[in-house]
Amino acid sequence: MTIGADRYGSRADTLVFLGCVALSIAAMSLPDSWRAPFSRAIRQTVLAPLLALQEETETLRSSRARLAAVTAERDSAMLAAAFLPELRSENARLRSLLGLGARLTTGYVPAEVLHEAGPTDPLTFLVSAGRRQGVRPLDTVVSPDGLVGVVSSADEQTSVVATWAHPDFRASAMAVDGSVYGIVAPHGSEGPGIWLLELEGVPYRNLVPDSTLIVTSGLGGVIPRGIPLGTVIGERAEVEHWERTYLLLPAVHPAAVTHVMILTGPPRNGATLKDLFQAEGKAP
Amino acid sequence: MRRSDRYRFWIVLAGLVLLHFSLRTRLGGDRIAPDFLLLALLMYTTRATPGRGAAAGFFVGLLRDALTPASFGTAALAHTIVGYLSSWAKAVFFAENLFVNGCIFFAGTWLRNLVVVLASGELKGAPLVWELLAWSPLQSLTTAAVGVLVLWTLGRWVAVRMSDA
Repeated sequence: MTIGADRYGSRADTLVFLGCVALSIAAMSLPDSWRAPFSRAIRQTVLAPLLALQEETETLRSSRARLAAVTAERDSAMLAAAFLPELRSENARLRSLLGLGARLTTGYVPAEVLHEAGPTDPLTFLVSAGRRQGVRPLDTVVSPDGLVGVVSSADEQTSVVATWAHPDFRASAMAVDGSVYGIVAPHGSEGPGIWLLELEGVPYRNLVPDSTLIVTSGLGGVIPRGIPLGTVIGERAEVEHWERTYLLLPAVHPAAVTHVMILTGPPRNGATLKDLFQAEGKAP
Repeated sequence: MRRSDRYRFWIVLAGLVLLHFSLRTRLGGDRIAPDFLLLALLMYTTRATPGRGAAAGFFVGLLRDALTPASFGTAALAHTIVGYLSSWAKAVFFAENLFVNGCIFFAGTWLRNLVVVLASGELKGAPLVWELLAWSPLQSLTTAAVGVLVLWTLGRWVAVRMSDA
């Protein structure tokens, strides 16, 4: 091989060129039965190492792509696993809501809580049911565990619910056995007991043991009788006049509810709400 | 050219062949990715006599035909013509600067595609026009760009006088 030698075409060069062209045309004229074995022979000899290199490159390329896909799938699985406890919890809440709904039979409107990311969200929140679904102001809002609040205003498609944590919330209440009556109000907006309720106005002579279930008494005609409010966890230290005030652990935390039932009328199967909520506690 | 440069020249050609079978699939679609194999052929033919260029083109074309047996012989014909003409053109222009080499790479790639398309008869009408006026120029451009890059970075190895660039 003489690289850089005289490159002006000679007769020999022309003959070689014409010969190669003739061979090319002859190759184009080969029948398919001849082409295939000839091509195969070239691929299996001269081109074999190059094709192996290409195959390795493609394998490496696809391996990297598969690694990226597997990594993405693993990340997705981890993300899904992170939400699994919350999904299970929501599933349990929905199951209990369905159970309560089946016992109520009618007289309620199911709604989804439209939480907003704000510090006042537990005091009032929107629900996805309004006047079109039969919701009216002062309707009672419950979850399977107990009272959530009351409807403060109803729009066409949504309603605003004032929860029991709202400073203006009041409900007449009683011990579940009817031995003690009083008024339940939020404990306050500051301090460690912000998410507690108070049972006020209990006569001084009446003692309420801890863990006593407090339910609505129905006095006043706004909130029906028998809806759980919370359980007694202790007596407030300050005694005013001749009455006692007890601290209640609420049955429902407003920030934890995702679905609620708005009571639009009494249950039509004859049962009282007290019986229905007590059945909820016994349900498997 | 020094004696050691001759071996370096073959190393560059071998590197281009290896790149064709390893890197090319990662550089975009087949129709616009640079053709390293043709580039290696053109680098050789522009430094060889027309007869050797035609023979090398025939050999390279035959290898490509083995990879695409459906149009067997067309690549051999196309590469033979390109090999011969590029060797002849380089001798006529007698210029070894980057621009002329880039033009030869561009024209060689486009001419190779033209001959393959016409000889195989597989494309007609609008696809033929698209191939010759869109895809082939793009592939010629990328091939010429890679060729110029190789000459610019390895100019001494492939005996290009960079002072002419």
